[in-house]
Amino acid sequence: MLKIENLHASVAGKEILKGINLEIGAGEVHAIMGPNGSGKSTLSNVIAGRDGYKVTAGSVTYNGKDLLAMEPEERAWEGVFLAFQYPVEIPGVNNTYMLKAGVNAKRKHQGEQELDAIDFMQLVKEKAKLVELNESFLSRGVNEGFSGGEKKRNEIFQMAVLEPSLALLDETDSGLDIDALRIVANGVNKLRREDRSIVMVTHYQRLLDYIEPDFVHVLADGQILKSGDKSLALELESRGYDWVKEEAAA
Amino acid sequence: MSDLTLNIASLPGNVGVQAQRSQAADICARTGLPGKRDEDWKYTDISRLTATLGDAWWLTAPTAINSDATSLATIDDLDAYRLVFIAGQFQPEQSNLPDGVQLRPLSELLQNDTDDSAHCLFKLDESAPLFNGLLAANSALASDGLCACIGDGIKLDKPLYAVHVGNSTAHTLNGLMLGKGAEATLIEHFIGTDSDQAGLSNIATYLRLGDNAALTHYRLQLESDKQFHVGRVEVKQARDSRYTLHAVELGGSLSRADIVVNLAEPGASCALNGLFVASGRQHIDHHTRIDHNAPHCCSRENYRTVLDGRAHAVFNGKIVVAEGAVKTDSAQSNGNLLLSKHAEIDTKPELEIYNDDVKCAHGVTVGQLDKNQLFYLKSRGLSEDEARQLLTVAFADEILVAMDIKAVRSFIEKEAFSKLPNLGDLEGVLG
Repeated sequence: MLKIENLHASVAGKEILKGINLEIGAGEVHAIMGPNGSGKSTLSNVIAGRDGYKVTAGSVTYNGKDLLAMEPEERAWEGVFLAFQYPVEIPGVNNTYMLKAGVNAKRKHQGEQELDAIDFMQLVKEKAKLVELNESFLSRGVNEGFSGGEKKRNEIFQMAVLEPSLALLDETDSGLDIDALRIVANGVNKLRREDRSIVMVTHYQRLLDYIEPDFVHVLADGQILKSGDKSLALELESRGYDWVKEEAAA
Repeated sequence: MSDLTLNIASLPGNVGVQAQRSQAADICARTGLPGKRDEDWKYTDISRLTATLGDAWWLTAPTAINSDATSLATIDDLDAYRLVFIAGQFQPEQSNLPDGVQLRPLSELLQNDTDDSAHCLFKLDESAPLFNGLLAANSALASDGLCACIGDGIKLDKPLYAVHVGNSTAHTLNGLMLGKGAEATLIEHFIGTDSDQAGLSNIATYLRLGDNAALTHYRLQLESDKQFHVGRVEVKQARDSRYTLHAVELGGSLSRADIVVNLAEPGASCALNGLFVASGRQHIDHHTRIDHNAPHCCSRENYRTVLDGRAHAVFNGKIVVAEGAVKTDSAQSNGNLLLSKHAEIDTKPELEIYNDDVKCAHGVTVGQLDKNQLFYLKSRGLSEDEARQLLTVAFADEILVAMDIKAVRSFIEKEAFSKLPNLGDLEGVLG
């Protein structure tokens, strides 16, 4: 469903992604691991459509459509969701209002009827339970005054409400303590579905103890150097990244 | 300017008032309109007034407005005592006044030759902060307004809602006095009609708060596109009194307000909240001046402006802390959102502090919409327009949520953001 071919991208004239090839099928969970500065976040941001990244070569197709030609909101309507590494605070914009606008824009795009306020509230309350998010958070400003852990929970809560077919989790585990990580991971596991692909970007193997990936990829210096199953993550944990780089160079 | 003196002979008021009027006319003739060399008018070119209305800019021309107040864009679901002024004249048949409170239109007071209660309103002090020729013209020519005295310990059960309608030139003079422990809410609402006519609304409002009195004051400027609006709000506060202003500037071609607060006795506090939403070539200017003249007084000031098109806004917030005003607690904040690269804001906090035992904070921000916030909203499926609108409303939210009358707040929310393109139904937006 997602096909990345020879993707090159640069930020402020500096090439960060140097030919990524990756294919992600429906319902698969992929982990992309790599040291800091390897291009992990750039990859998620390019897929989600953030400004400031210039794609210099290659393509990203999603369900047969050219993803790179779409605006960020169009990608969202097509089912792409990004859980941010650093979710922004938007004081004054109600969390629930934002989600309702998002859900209804997507439904409209897909030719479905928009949800009314009552149906939507019911949906939201149900999904909040999934990540043990207190209902008081629903009526607050987006991420306003949330702790680091609460922000990450709010991201997964939003994923639950928006029901994407492709979820990119950008370092969703970083900055979380064990209890918070367990809650977030439980939420993600409950959201696994045959028609929903999940891409986790992380540099900690710890996350994979809680969310078991089908595939693990090592991203270093803008390229995927090695792919394998979850045992690769364990090997990275014990041996670090250097051997992968050496192996690739050889 | 000598014409102005001729004009006042036909105006109402007893001998004492007439004497004040001619004195004011002399001052007006002498000082004239403020010029650009005047520091307080550096960014506001009031010569636009004479360019549009002519040399006799102060001249009140009677206009025929047959509109019934009920058909106007007033705040409908507001439970209040209504005072309607059309082209500067009180409309008794469209108004309902509270019982048991001394409240009368100025025009009525001026009819009574033996009543001296309006005298003090006409008296001018040229040394007062931000004094200018426009205020002198107001004293010389005002013939109507709202005059009220809320007695000691009285809590007015409903707000006083003064609606001023018209595109003519009118000089309006209001006075509201609150006795010890009295409480009231005053809503001043300036509305234009759709006409192409330009005039000057020249409004002076004098407020006196007795010991421990509390006044909440909404000043809503929604004049029509061509109208000039100049206003002065002068507040004097006794011990432990509390004054809250919600100043909203949405309309008019050029609008200037001078807000002058005197925290005269210990424990008095004031909060000035301002919201400007301007587009096109609108020009909006607020000069505020807060004098901390006694110990333990507190002032809070929060102004937010949203500017689109070629709109130009000016904010000047001056705070003066007198020598004896120890334990002063003062904070001022001014945030500006420029939606267009042609919009302009001139903002200046000014602090003058004459003792060491004070806490004074101030901060100014000028910026565009935050790109990261925009991307976040778009990544959740909101369109570019929708995201921009939401963030704009959110920016103004701090001022809107401070408005404790829901009907006023919803009305302003709707009026403010209907000015900006593509805003849909905003029910439930605010966090």
